[in-house]
Amino acid sequence: MPENLEPKKIEFKKIDGSSFGYFALVAILALLTAAGIAAYALDRMYHLSGLSNRVPWGVVNAGIPYFIGLSAGSLIVSALAGVFKIERFKIFSRIAAFFAAAYIVAAISSIVFDIGKLYHFANAIVYFNPTSIFSWNAFFYSSYFVICALYLLTQFEEMERLTRFFACLAVFWAVLVHSGTGAIYSFMYSRELYHSALTPPMFIVCAITSGLGLLIATLYFTFKFTKRDLEIRLLRELGLIFAGLTAVLGYMLAVEGLEKGYIPALAPATQFVYLNPYHGIFWSFWLLVIFGIIIPFLIVIYPRTGFDPRFLSLAGILHAAMVMAERFFLIVPGQVYPSEYLPGYEIESLHTLEGYIVSYTPTIFEWLQVIGLLSGVFLAFVVAAKLLPIIPEKAVVVEE
Amino acid sequence: MISRRRFLVLVGASAAMAMLPLQISAKSIGSEAKNEAKRRWAMVADIEKCTECMRELIKKTGNEEVKPPCVVACDRENNVPEFEEKEIDPQWMRIVKFKNKFGEEFYVPLLCNHCENPPCAQVCLTQATFKRSDGIVEVDMHRCIGCRYCMIACPYGSRSYNFKDPREGLREVNPKVPMRTKGVVEKCTFCVQRVDEAIANGREPEPACVEACRKYGKNSLVFGNVNDPNSGISRILKESIVIQLRPELGTDPHVYYLPKR
Repeated sequence: MPENLEPKKIEFKKIDGSSFGYFALVAILALLTAAGIAAYALDRMYHLSGLSNRVPWGVVNAGIPYFIGLSAGSLIVSALAGVFKIERFKIFSRIAAFFAAAYIVAAISSIVFDIGKLYHFANAIVYFNPTSIFSWNAFFYSSYFVICALYLLTQFEEMERLTRFFACLAVFWAVLVHSGTGAIYSFMYSRELYHSALTPPMFIVCAITSGLGLLIATLYFTFKFTKRDLEIRLLRELGLIFAGLTAVLGYMLAVEGLEKGYIPALAPATQFVYLNPYHGIFWSFWLLVIFGIIIPFLIVIYPRTGFDPRFLSLAGILHAAMVMAERFFLIVPGQVYPSEYLPGYEIESLHTLEGYIVSYTPTIFEWLQVIGLLSGVFLAFVVAAKLLPIIPEKAVVVEE
Repeated sequence: MISRRRFLVLVGASAAMAMLPLQISAKSIGSEAKNEAKRRWAMVADIEKCTECMRELIKKTGNEEVKPPCVVACDRENNVPEFEEKEIDPQWMRIVKFKNKFGEEFYVPLLCNHCENPPCAQVCLTQATFKRSDGIVEVDMHRCIGCRYCMIACPYGSRSYNFKDPREGLREVNPKVPMRTKGVVEKCTFCVQRVDEAIANGREPEPACVEACRKYGKNSLVFGNVNDPNSGISRILKESIVIQLRPELGTDPHVYYLPKR
């Protein structure tokens, strides 16, 4: 990279936050967050989710890897500056680190929303189970939040060396946390459609792409809304990393799908998953491939759209939204498609739904919980932008 | 105004507070620790007798989904609630049809397999699911946080989550079995309360389903200690080829099936 791309000195400034638009945004986000919490409370009281004994994990559970992914991705971008000494990305490092910390809170909140006995939650720490991946993750998530917070703090205090140290530690921890999250699902040997060694690395790729995608859009809108300068070249660079990794994600999905399809024992299941348009799973996969991977990739590499921040943001948002479909695709098929208890024998239960393809349709109350958590993250960002110096005054590269 | 540093310290302190133990668990270790290694409980179900029993019952009642005496006894003994919606109705013991490719159907009871290497206990966040030294896999509902990871991990679909308070679906309550609450996972315990009581009184234990099967005159279900070479179940396992469900996973289930001869 040419030296002259480096900015001289970055000034981070709080935003004014006194306009009508600002308060309107705060109000909308607060309303959505409140709606999410209300949906959670109602769901707990009256069981309004589409979950069942055959499909005990749904979209609220999918929120856990989704938010962890956004967090890990955001953090890795933030730390690019510190770890690889790419000075010009320092402009984004505070915003990205803030989002990393906020998303991990959303992820933990997803767990809180998902579990049935909230007041037993402390047991997960008190009675740590070393053979449980989720148990390890409970430790990883909380320590990861602390590391993110310290990383942000060292940036605020402008402690150069310590920031670099925390950047490296945080990236390592992000990879650990996110691989661990992938392993929660993919180590489940009892469900063939879950079981895959490719999932944890795919989670890392997916984390970076979704985190980056949403970050591109967030940066664009933040700078536009606060009327600060943002050089398109910086967004373009993030966009290129984004597009490259999106292609890697597509490649991994293809390898995994083909491998599963190659096993005769799994043929009916894979046919059901990939080729049956009468079920939502089919759509979750193909919408991801088309709108989450192919279109965003083309937007970035096509010169007319690839240099336009609006299109780059669109690509980022499309991908980040479709990664939710990826999480759905990861979690739901393995539950919806019945297991074979005795090889070679079809089963049909008289008293439960075992042996049947069951349906799972997330209800509005489940979606509201996920949307509420996402709104909560942005609410925190909008408020923090006013209280803390996280947005640079201008994000331009100075040519000498 | 509150400084950044103080704010972060406060956040950290409240996070630490949240991790403090908030309640005491009632996890039990098993009644007679000193004798436990002597015993390993297991069950055998005779597919031929079960199929015969179910065919008779279906013919008699005309109800394809009739609950045989073993399932009825299990529901009653263990306070397993009954809800209209099959999706959320907890069921510890249930009957399934195994169909082969020639169109023949066999009726088989399914229950928790009390695996030697239980995946549910392996994944449980809080060690709420645990295996006693006599092989019974139990759930401590005071410890369970209701994350349902065990339901994902169980290869046999044996676990049910309480989407509703079980008391809403019960007509009568057996006071000998602890009542579960909404938001925890439950499953078959091999009637652990009966096992413990029988051992304390020096008798041979008999779960409710086995007792009901015997009283109904079918004698399809056999329960016993596989660590005792002279027990009825040990003799069956020694003399016949038996089926375990999904043995390739290495869970070593302890509910065995005698195939039709």
